[in-house]
Amino acid sequence: MGRFISPVKIFLTLIFLLVIGLPFLALLLSSVSLNWQWPEVLPEAFSWRAWDYVLFGSSGTWQAIGTSLVIALVVTAVNIVLAVPAANALARYQFRGKWLMEAIIFAPIIIPPFVAVMGIHLTFLRLGLTETIFGVVLAHLSPTLPYMVRAVVISYNTLAVDWENQARMLGAGAIQRFLHVVLPHLLPGIAAGASLSILISLSQYLITFIIGSGQVITLPILLFPFISGGDPAVAAAYSLMFAGLAIVTLLGMDIALKNYYQTKKTVTGKI
Amino acid sequence: MKIAALLAPAVLVFTLGACAGETGNGNAQDADTLLTGEWPSVESAAAGQEVNMYMWGGSDSINRYLDDWVAPRMKENYDIDLNRVPMNDAQDIINQLLDEKSVGKTDGSMDIIWINGENFKAAKDNGLLWADFTGQLPNYNEYVDSDAPEIAEDFGEPVEGLEAPWGQAQFVFVHDESKVASPPTSMAELAGWVRENPGQFTYPAMPDFTGSAFIRHVLYETTGGHEQYGLPADEIEDLEGRLEPMWEYLNDIEPYLWREGETYPESLAKLDQLYASGEVALTMSYDPALAASEVLKGRFPDTTRTFLLAGGTLANTHFLAIPFNSSEKAGAMVAINEMLSPEAQIAKLSPANWGDLSALDPEKLSPAQQQAMNAVDLGAATLSLEELENHRLPELSADYIKIIEKGWVENVAKE
Repeated sequence: MGRFISPVKIFLTLIFLLVIGLPFLALLLSSVSLNWQWPEVLPEAFSWRAWDYVLFGSSGTWQAIGTSLVIALVVTAVNIVLAVPAANALARYQFRGKWLMEAIIFAPIIIPPFVAVMGIHLTFLRLGLTETIFGVVLAHLSPTLPYMVRAVVISYNTLAVDWENQARMLGAGAIQRFLHVVLPHLLPGIAAGASLSILISLSQYLITFIIGSGQVITLPILLFPFISGGDPAVAAAYSLMFAGLAIVTLLGMDIALKNYYQTKKTVTGKI
Repeated sequence: MKIAALLAPAVLVFTLGACAGETGNGNAQDADTLLTGEWPSVESAAAGQEVNMYMWGGSDSINRYLDDWVAPRMKENYDIDLNRVPMNDAQDIINQLLDEKSVGKTDGSMDIIWINGENFKAAKDNGLLWADFTGQLPNYNEYVDSDAPEIAEDFGEPVEGLEAPWGQAQFVFVHDESKVASPPTSMAELAGWVRENPGQFTYPAMPDFTGSAFIRHVLYETTGGHEQYGLPADEIEDLEGRLEPMWEYLNDIEPYLWREGETYPESLAKLDQLYASGEVALTMSYDPALAASEVLKGRFPDTTRTFLLAGGTLANTHFLAIPFNSSEKAGAMVAINEMLSPEAQIAKLSPANWGDLSALDPEKLSPAQQQAMNAVDLGAATLSLEELENHRLPELSADYIKIIEKGWVENVAKE
């Protein structure tokens, strides 16, 4: 009876392939197409020009991918350090002006980033932070932090203080309580927040462009002129590189997380 | 403690910011000697410098010309590292320089910028450009006709040595020979052709650069020539009345355009895409060799050709300038001088590299250089240099362009 594949499942798989797979196929085709005239369904001829430029040319793609990754990972690490204590306070304590604090932390989700980034640019210019990876990392914190805080707050909401109290009664210190009771419970929330933080940081164009002032070159900085300049082949090749980068980074994080849980289980099992 | 946890992000930003601190300047003292000294002293000052060239980065052939042709030569001949920085729009360069000027940043990282037209005017009006430096460049003095109107003025704005001409562009229409055997050569003929071939023509909506240039041709041809627009726009009599025939023309052809004129492609890129996929029969370009390079890339069909209007088409020049706060001015001067050399200009003319028209005066070249220039295979889709040169019209100044673009939205798009 388990062998029977339900038509609903087939239907859903087909829809999934159609909605997710087909756009990728179109991107792939336009990145290698030569002379693709309407109403041909497939290009008449193929050319590696776009990929040759993106992968092997003077385009600096690989360096840009490295810079994108470094920025996204550092931003996410800083976000975790900032978000865990903030989420702890927001989820567990009542204090005056809490709504204001929440409003400030979540404001970047609602307010478009370019409103803030103009002012940030002038301030960073005075501080000498423009044109540095460090400045770009700081600027990326504002659109990514709210998502991280939100995800960790939800994890904290499902963690009763009783667990920590129990550990305290058994003699666990503050650091032990955090590492062995709080952190394992928060981890799924942190992972969700980190995925969003990485994706949002990778896809920033405007903030990177204005704060980096052309000296910090990430993948979107290379990609944008081609999209608006109308070279669909190169733009498609870059878009695929971008999607690949995001997928590989997320998969990498997923595998690391699964590994962590597995070793965790074996360790606790042995005790 | 709770409040402290929440304030942590803010505190972090401020302390880290303070640590990074100010960086010094100290590039200004040599600037004056660069403008008065002998050229070899500029060259020796330039050795070892790293020059950042900020330019639009949306064409792989232009990028490759800079990275693979110009940059290696700069390194080999002058020990200068030329670093191309891709921008999405030249206007972003101006905005960034405006911010840098307002906080007094003196050690800027832009050493060469690629601009013209409105962006040059904005840069000049706000004092974003360094100085009158073109007179110092040997190649400028030897090969450029500095009195020619297209070199001395940039969209009607006097250049005053603040920028050096890098290349020229001229407006052409693009058609597929196998579909349109004899293309229209005047605006009146175009209107007739559009009526006979409904849905086969359209132009990019304002404020697209090329779409705006297209309707300036309509302006010249329907209102009796360009000579009357020499005055600044606010001094001319009854400008609205003069523009009326242009709006009439555009509204008359509208029902016969692509999608019955209900919508216009938002950019030239979109129109090119419509042409490449065969949905419309004509497109246009402010770069006479672009069609040839699109054929080489395989995006446009092999039967693509270009044509001009019998009454001429608009031409303009694009320039290289040095910002006021460039940190490597000597290197920038040497690099610009090198890009004005006949060798660099001949290489730039070839569609295999870029296909951009030379900024040099052909009569000032040696016979061998002239021959090399004429020997460049521009591709079947490009018209001859002579034919282009004989059909050039001057650009309109930037104040008119703004009025026309606004007028198009009110008189054509809304009706």
